[in-house]
Amino acid sequence: MLALLVIVPLVVAAFLAVILRSRTTLVRYVALGASVISLLIAVALLLTSSNMVQQFIWFNVGQYAVHISTTTAPINLMLLLIVAGITPLIFAYSIGYLKTPSEQGRYYFEMCIFAASMMLFSISANFISLFIAWEMLGITSYLLIGFWQYKPKAQLAARKAITTIIIGDVAMLIAMLLIWSTYHTFEFLALYSAAATPALYAAMLLIAVAAFTKSAQFPFTEWLADAMEGPTPVSAFLHSSTMVKAGVFLILILAPIYTNLHILNLFVIFGIVSALVGAMNALAEHHIKRILAYSTIEDLALMFIAIGFNALYAAVLLFIVQAFYKALLFMSAGSIMTAGDDEEDLFESFNSTKNRGLFITMVIGTLSLAGIFPMSGFFGKAAIDSVAANFSSLPNIILYVLLSVVDLLSSIYIFRWLFVPMRKAPLEKAFTLNINYRTLPKSMLIPPTILAAFVIIGSVFYVTLTNLLPLGGLPVSIGVSDTVVETILVLAGLAIAYLLYVKMRLSGFTEKHEVLRGAFNSGAEINVLYNYFAAFVMLSANVVWRFDHYIDRLLYYSGMGLVEIGNRLRRLQNGQTNLYVAAFMLGLLALILLFAL
Amino acid sequence: MTILIGLMLLFSALASILILALDQELSKRIALAGSGIVLAITIWILVTSLLQGSLSMGEQYPYISAFDISLQLQLTPISFILVLMTAIVAFGAVMAGNPERVREKAANALILLFEFSAIGLFASANLFIFFIFWDIGVIALFFMINILGSANRRYASIKFIIYEIFASSLLLLGIMMIYFYTPVHSFDIGAITSAASTIPQATQQMIFILMFIAFMVNMPLFPLHFWLPDAHTEASTQGSMLLSGVLTKFGAYGMLLIFTMFPIASSLAIPIALLAGFSTIYSAFVTMMQHDIKRVIAYTTIIDMGIILVAIAAMNSFGTYGAAYAMFAHGITIALLFLTVGCMHHIFGSRDMRVVKGVVSRAASTGYSFIMGVFGVTGVPLTAGFVADVLIFIGAIQAFGLAGALPLIGLLMIGAFMYLVINRSFMMTKEPSQPVEYIGIEQQLGYAFLMGSMLLFGIFPFLLLGFANL
Repeated sequence: MLALLVIVPLVVAAFLAVILRSRTTLVRYVALGASVISLLIAVALLLTSSNMVQQFIWFNVGQYAVHISTTTAPINLMLLLIVAGITPLIFAYSIGYLKTPSEQGRYYFEMCIFAASMMLFSISANFISLFIAWEMLGITSYLLIGFWQYKPKAQLAARKAITTIIIGDVAMLIAMLLIWSTYHTFEFLALYSAAATPALYAAMLLIAVAAFTKSAQFPFTEWLADAMEGPTPVSAFLHSSTMVKAGVFLILILAPIYTNLHILNLFVIFGIVSALVGAMNALAEHHIKRILAYSTIEDLALMFIAIGFNALYAAVLLFIVQAFYKALLFMSAGSIMTAGDDEEDLFESFNSTKNRGLFITMVIGTLSLAGIFPMSGFFGKAAIDSVAANFSSLPNIILYVLLSVVDLLSSIYIFRWLFVPMRKAPLEKAFTLNINYRTLPKSMLIPPTILAAFVIIGSVFYVTLTNLLPLGGLPVSIGVSDTVVETILVLAGLAIAYLLYVKMRLSGFTEKHEVLRGAFNSGAEINVLYNYFAAFVMLSANVVWRFDHYIDRLLYYSGMGLVEIGNRLRRLQNGQTNLYVAAFMLGLLALILLFAL
Repeated sequence: MTILIGLMLLFSALASILILALDQELSKRIALAGSGIVLAITIWILVTSLLQGSLSMGEQYPYISAFDISLQLQLTPISFILVLMTAIVAFGAVMAGNPERVREKAANALILLFEFSAIGLFASANLFIFFIFWDIGVIALFFMINILGSANRRYASIKFIIYEIFASSLLLLGIMMIYFYTPVHSFDIGAITSAASTIPQATQQMIFILMFIAFMVNMPLFPLHFWLPDAHTEASTQGSMLLSGVLTKFGAYGMLLIFTMFPIASSLAIPIALLAGFSTIYSAFVTMMQHDIKRVIAYTTIIDMGIILVAIAAMNSFGTYGAAYAMFAHGITIALLFLTVGCMHHIFGSRDMRVVKGVVSRAASTGYSFIMGVFGVTGVPLTAGFVADVLIFIGAIQAFGLAGALPLIGLLMIGAFMYLVINRSFMMTKEPSQPVEYIGIEQQLGYAFLMGSMLLFGIFPFLLLGFANL
């Protein structure tokens, strides 16, 4: 109950945002203040309590009670602190980013509800509170992706997101009810020691599906790329650092059960496929935010791979550091877009060096994502590589090679992302662009700077994580050889990106010169897959509907036929005596003829 | 012995007669007073039974003493949930009024008459009066469609009454057979339940199937659902609210009755669950081809009623109570949805999802209320639908294993489709439709009332579970 306090300020702020929606500046600071209070409560929770599971009864069904239970276990507090820490930064960034007065109330309502449900998610200790948060995450994500209601593309993206997410929701609901029917409990703790039954296998597979939909893993990847139609703070908050990591987090806390059932390998297989899909598409993509979205898919896939190896520490390490550098990169992307008058194409963005603060934070984020040594991203990625560096069998070797390819690709695409907007703008654009860069609001520059500091400090987690978090699974240890391999890959990527995008730009590098695009663009194929599936469903719907319609018509016409028969037969008694006599005479004639012949 | 159930019946009937007798101007006030008193009485019963932790109420008034038939009324937890739902939906319908404001007097009188019949039906402890209330309800709604409906109302109402009379005649036949074949020769549900095992198997099966078909028409279920889309589409806004919100629950409540009355039910549970599950998936597919938003919502009724029948066929306490909770949640939610769609039609002059665009920008309260209603139908937590889904599918999984969760696929499809509808017609504000009319404060109060009840019973489920004897 105590832990639930953390969501109260945000829920209050959400409703205040609706009530005060006409006072647009006030609304922003109410939301920001509430998020700071939440952060303080989260810190207080960290300092005061240790690993408490608290329950209260939501409702009773006969002799069973359905609880809402929260926990302040270290891993839950870790996610809570990440969320609570990023929320004020996002809200601060939004002050500068979102200026339209009429949108403020709705924006802060949805964002506050989202933040509250993410916090509820991070402290939930049973399926009921988790599912409440899980659904609210999906719905707020849907509303925020489609936030700009006048953009048809945003609406399509929102629809794709909710359709994917709803699959996960139903899978999750079935799974939790299956578990309850078998074990009569919703609590995670009670399940860790549960005996393996077929129901548990089915439930855990369904939960994996749910996690894949939420974390945009293959084959559910595309919604995340499309989700970039939403406002940038939303992308920085939901679709990189918090909501999409709900799936990973869920698997992380349920990992002991998967270990008991021996189906952890599942995550390695789906993880490596998603990582390749993400990395290749990021390289093929031109949309400044979609590159980062595919990169997020890759990061999440790496976390799943680490979980699949039961290297929970490695997964958690990347989980923490990814939140900082990805939020930072998204904020930078938003700043570039704002300066370029909402220009979304990477190759149409220029002069990103004109704002020193922005550029330095961008470089820090890029180096971290690529995995250059002292940055926190290096430890996250190298930890996972070192886990995979096990050459005992052929599949492991293949996996390691693939992971190295992913590392190389991610280094190329992120340096491409850094280098391309650095180019000098054409003369007609340069003037306004430079002014825009120099007049970027402070509120859009300070949050990335804070995050950049975290990106650098985040490296300490490599040393301290084992002490902070009691987790099962393999410990993290990055050897010298891993460091060398990782550094070589990153530098190679840097060199390739430099050659392709800095050297060649002198000769008028344009889109058609980019050889990599066609080869790597698998997002389109996955979309085709979705289209076939949707077409199949609609075809079945059409068949069923026609059947339904024809049966209805058949009943209608048979009814009408009865009426028609009645109408015809009615003539038999219409009261006209001459007709009766005529009929009588005809009948008599027929009889006579019959007897005569 | 209390007189509360009798008072509810008395006030609703009295209000209905008064509306007919007095002026048009007074009709809404009287209707509000009548349904308000009924709602107040149900809330009083709710509070007292929550304090006691149990609920059981019985009343008896003399009726036809020559045949030993009396007006036997009782409230069990399940029937009380449905009475509460009726009171909420009827009060919401009266409060919201018809956005078109046509023939308010007739509408209000019929709503109160229908409320009278529904409360009587859910509270009846006697099959004879059950049947009487059943027919009063059907006839009230027949006029609701036939007099107050839209352009194609004649066809729809005749179709409705043909199906319903077919159902009623089978029901009457079933009730007569029960009377003759039970050794006690009684209409009393309690007496029949205790004596039902003495009826020979073959006869029992026959009675069960007769009544099952009758209730199946009313619910409705797959092969006999054809009346529903037309009736719902052509009825006035208030008519659809009552039709889908309350009338379809007659059948579902009847199903609950026959499943508890006859021991034969357990042998038929699996085929019935299969039929119900099939009906769910089937109508989910049919829904996806609809363009008229009111028709979409009408088809979701068939989906939800299929799920409810699966829960009833599970024949365990979770399933039974879940079915009651789902009926409650569905009644309120669907009333909200029909109200919003009716208002949308009034505002924009169309309810085709291909034509109407950007409702949230031009009619914000209507748009967002519809979205809340969709959340309720798809069972998002903190709406009453979620608790219902949890109870229902726990019951279904306990009875049928993993297969019991399959109807959720229908819910998944309808969820995906409803979000498509929201997306196309409500959220997409590029080139929005222009409003031609406006709705008044009454309709917005109606939204608030129905939405509030939906959330209240979703956030505090113990309000309906506190007095249950599971």
